[in-house]
Amino acid sequence: MVFSSMIFLFAFLPALLVCYFLLPGRLRSVRNGVLLVFSLAFYAWGGPKLLWLMLASIAVNYCGGLLCAPGRTHRKLAVGAVVVANLLLLGYFKYTNFLFENLQFLGLPVTVPGVVLPIGISFFTFQGMSYVLDVYRGDAQREKNPLRVALYVALFPQLVAGPIVRYTTVAGEIRSRNESISEAGAGAVRFCFGLAKKMLLANALGQIADAAFSAGSLLTTSMAWLGALAYTGQIYFDFSGYSDMAIGLGRIFGFHFLENFNYPYVSRSATEFWRRWHISLSTWFRDYVYIPLGGSRCSRWKQVRNILIVWMLTGMWHGAAWNFILWGLYYALLLLGERYVWGEFMERLPAPIRHLYAMTAVVLGWVLFRAESLGTVGTMAAALFGAAPGGLWSGETVYYLSEFRWELLVAIPAALPMKIWLENVLKRRTANGSTAASAALVLLPRALALGLFALSFLQLLSSSFNPFIYFRF
Amino acid sequence: MKKLADIGFLLCLGAVLLAIPIRTLTHSAKNTVTYYENRTLAAVPTCTEENFWSGDYFSDWETWYSDHVPGRTTLLTRSTAIQMDVLKRPVVNGVIADADVLLPFQGYKTWDVSTYKKKAAPVADGFAALAEDIQSYGGQFWFVGMPEQSNYFWDKYPDGMDSRRWNALAADETFYQALGERDVNWLDMGAVYAAQGRPSDYYSSVDHHFTYYGAFAAYQAILDRINTDSGLNLPILGKNDLDFQTLPNPYLGSRSRKLYNLWPNDEHAVLGILKNPIPFTRTDNGTQVSPSVYVIPENDTRLTTYDLYMGGDKAETIIQTNRPDLPDALIFGDSFTNALETMFYTSFDETRSLDLRHYTEKSLREYLETYHPQVVICVCNDTFFYTNTGNMNVWDR
Repeated sequence: MVFSSMIFLFAFLPALLVCYFLLPGRLRSVRNGVLLVFSLAFYAWGGPKLLWLMLASIAVNYCGGLLCAPGRTHRKLAVGAVVVANLLLLGYFKYTNFLFENLQFLGLPVTVPGVVLPIGISFFTFQGMSYVLDVYRGDAQREKNPLRVALYVALFPQLVAGPIVRYTTVAGEIRSRNESISEAGAGAVRFCFGLAKKMLLANALGQIADAAFSAGSLLTTSMAWLGALAYTGQIYFDFSGYSDMAIGLGRIFGFHFLENFNYPYVSRSATEFWRRWHISLSTWFRDYVYIPLGGSRCSRWKQVRNILIVWMLTGMWHGAAWNFILWGLYYALLLLGERYVWGEFMERLPAPIRHLYAMTAVVLGWVLFRAESLGTVGTMAAALFGAAPGGLWSGETVYYLSEFRWELLVAIPAALPMKIWLENVLKRRTANGSTAASAALVLLPRALALGLFALSFLQLLSSSFNPFIYFRF
Repeated sequence: MKKLADIGFLLCLGAVLLAIPIRTLTHSAKNTVTYYENRTLAAVPTCTEENFWSGDYFSDWETWYSDHVPGRTTLLTRSTAIQMDVLKRPVVNGVIADADVLLPFQGYKTWDVSTYKKKAAPVADGFAALAEDIQSYGGQFWFVGMPEQSNYFWDKYPDGMDSRRWNALAADETFYQALGERDVNWLDMGAVYAAQGRPSDYYSSVDHHFTYYGAFAAYQAILDRINTDSGLNLPILGKNDLDFQTLPNPYLGSRSRKLYNLWPNDEHAVLGILKNPIPFTRTDNGTQVSPSVYVIPENDTRLTTYDLYMGGDKAETIIQTNRPDLPDALIFGDSFTNALETMFYTSFDETRSLDLRHYTEKSLREYLETYHPQVVICVCNDTFFYTNTGNMNVWDR
């Protein structure tokens, strides 16, 4: 099930809200049970056939948590076994086809088995592993109640598209949390803004990107740039919109997930970009792979090795295809370059130039990410630099610029920290005694949220173009 | 104030979240069709073991819910109005809204025209076999290709929008060539209309069909061709035989329908009334119906559509004029036949018409064996040439 669907908005969510909030707050475990049942139903809605897989993952990680806790004998062996089990699960379902395709490409007589990728497997596997590793390290208490571990892994807001929530972030709130009107209000506002990002911006920009990346021999330089920029917008509004919805829903039910995005497109370097983009994934790799490998507290060559390993894995996490691996290595090279080669020089340049550098690097990175084959990467890259099969300009570019001009215009300020700037202005004026600013500070976000919800609903009703990009991972 | 604002906001949102499912549950049974989308609304999904485990059963519920949301048509009309009038999008609901006529947005695709030859062969083989079969009992067959409205008005596409003219030309040419190579009689109405200067009143500005004037020109060209090829000397209606009447009702075309009839236009349907009526009986799908070739709305304000002609697509219609000196005819094809049928019956004793998309009682071969019509015509618009089902699948049937 996806958040931007009629079933979720007008069946699942109201039913859950009624069932959950009709129960008294003191019946915490019953409320948790309601959340768990609904979360499993949320996952099973896409096809109950693969529900067993998530349940198996929960069972493995629950047992792992019990066996890996400090003080247990053979806990090193247990943690190793659980990590291997998780990686085997992820590896089989996500990378088997890729492996066989490559073997086939090398001429070996093998058949690609056609393993179906279960929704959200990359997210719930990483969450499960982080629980076991945190317990092993002593950062988290082992959980004896399997239903609590199940709720942590299966909690529907972040189940299928993140953010990757650490057990330590929500362990306390699973046991005891405070649902309140102000939290629910803030959560619902956040949810409405996230839904609008997805429905009103990401889907529209996605149509431009799809046209550009499938243009083939009609591709022009203008369309390549428009498509690359549109995809840059699409992936941000799609994924950050989903994270907003997840964080908002979490708040309605009393959970506080960490932020996953911090206006990544204001970055002035690739390094800064990755501090602001998909924060839950980059911190996961930092804490569970990079630092255990030695991080940056080792020789320069080991640092280089660590960065290459982490970014190759980051690329592979996003998908079982060579373009994702290349995309990961592309960032590895950028980050190494910024650390050892041109970083200091860049620091001395004016901020707009650094921003232009970072955005160009990011946009080119997304081309690598979005292209479905290495051939498309080549065609798009050539087109971006003037060697397009269709020439420089086409009617198609004019059409897409005209058809989606409102979305393109709104996307730019929407990707900037306008909310923070506006909030700060209103807060300053409120502090100076302005009642209008004080009223705007309270009423504006809520009124805007209702308006955006209505527009998103209209869009949902009239549009069948509704894919979530991060469902692939 | 913040708490009050939160309560107000949550109450508003909660009311919407609860009202929509409740209204959907209580009102979903009332509507089964959606007029502007011209389709049946999704039925309540049926659960089977297969669709349950695959997840299709659940995704069917999403379709059902989207179809049965209360006030759906009103909401979609508002949404279309916003797209057209506020956001001024050039293309709305797949229709180019800022042109002189409503045209479908064709996208920007490349087509491999070399594949047309391969695709045309099996379809043309079917028509060749059909023509041979008809000849075996003394009849004759003609294939009539009609340009679809977007191909007729190809030059009305706004700058920058692809009319796919080059693709349509290549597709039509290859198809007619394939028919010609197999000695199948064919008539390209696109060429006939071009020779007449492609008058703009031959085709609707809001529908994918021709107008009555375009149909009348086609009727005359087809009958002329039949007389020339066969020497049958069939009577052909001239302009003076008809009284052309413009209906006062607003006309809703297939394209304006997609825009919820919000596109401003003053097109009205035209029909031709015989000055000297020819009495006839009419049978639709085995049931005798009133002897009329037009279905005119009860009052002047109600919308009328292309279904005005013959009452829309019918699996089988038989019109008998009881004039045994004239031959019998069979006309089959897509909805372009409907307007033609309002004139065709005047040239034959018995005129049968089939729409093979809906007619399932007999195969076309069995039908011909039973009735032996002397004149057999297939009328098809050129966007269907490369389909191998319905009216283009003539020999398997």
